[in-house]
Amino acid sequence: MIPSAEPFFLDAAPGQRYCLFHPPAGNCRGALLYVHPFGDEMNKARRMAAVTARRLAARGYGVLQVDLYGCGDSSGDFADARWEIWLADLEAARAWLRARLGVPVGLWGLRLGGLLALDFASRSAQPVPDLVLWQPVQQGGAYLKQFLRLLSVNEMLSQPEQDKGAGNTGALRTALLGGQALEVAGYELAPELGAAIDALDAARLAPAGRVHWFEMVSAADRPLAPALARLADKWRAQGCVLELRQVAGQQFWATQEISESEELVQATCAALEAAAAEVPAPEVAA
Amino acid sequence: MYIDDVKRILADVLSLGDAAGALTESSPLLGSIPELDSMAVVNLIGALEEHFGFVIDDDEISASTFETLGSLTAFVEQKMA
Repeated sequence: MIPSAEPFFLDAAPGQRYCLFHPPAGNCRGALLYVHPFGDEMNKARRMAAVTARRLAARGYGVLQVDLYGCGDSSGDFADARWEIWLADLEAARAWLRARLGVPVGLWGLRLGGLLALDFASRSAQPVPDLVLWQPVQQGGAYLKQFLRLLSVNEMLSQPEQDKGAGNTGALRTALLGGQALEVAGYELAPELGAAIDALDAARLAPAGRVHWFEMVSAADRPLAPALARLADKWRAQGCVLELRQVAGQQFWATQEISESEELVQATCAALEAAAAEVPAPEVAA
Repeated sequence: MYIDDVKRILADVLSLGDAAGALTESSPLLGSIPELDSMAVVNLIGALEEHFGFVIDDDEISASTFETLGSLTAFVEQKMA
């Protein structure tokens, strides 16, 4: 039998964080802390996160899902969210999970949560045994620009090409980084958080431990995107054990309707089990 | 030459499924495909950037870029040229 998930509030600073712990069935084979994505992607991905967490728990992995400060059911408004508070939230959640299960804690991050997990791992004094990344954001700056486009898109579509003014994406970024909070798609983004995201580049965050990186593509035989191929070379040159897999399916964090990828759930479970069995990292299938 | 890539990205972003197969160069997009709202346009621009590895600036695009599958494909071809 799979033990049921345990919801609770974790004391953090400031306030409390909503957590959902999925206890491992049988002998504990490992522990993972889930790092959710940002904005609407968090909502769209909720189902896949829950499905995968339950599946991992059934296979003996304890999984802790935490809503970061200003997100979901945790304390704080999104406007008060800061990158440093999120890093501290992960530290507190990892400490809880480590104390509960008594094993080293890996991280599992989706999209911006993947970049947050990478930043956390690069600063962590304790080693991170496994890092599971689901289509992590590679360039914080490019991601921020895509997010700000939610605000500028209407102007973009309504104005002729020559007549772009203060509402364009570049001007919005300048305003944000200059200290002006912006409300984008219902999320009030603080300048400090925008600047922290803008400055991050996965290429400079090569993890020391083993990395399981998954990309969703429309067909499994798609060539690796050039930007990702360059990043993989860079990380491997720094000694990172990087396993890169492409999974055919929809980008469930961005689809109109809530969607799932059974293939990604299976591939993720299989990758962790292979790592636990100390099977040497396979060659990149791309 | 990029029309099939653009069609596939459009189908993926908008969850069009098999309906995407019937799209041709002259198929109208913006204002005709209900799934293509402003949020979907943002996702579509992001998907095109990630797939083709180029960066799109606001002043390069307008509603006319998204008028038909042909106009969108022409934009991608011009970016890739």
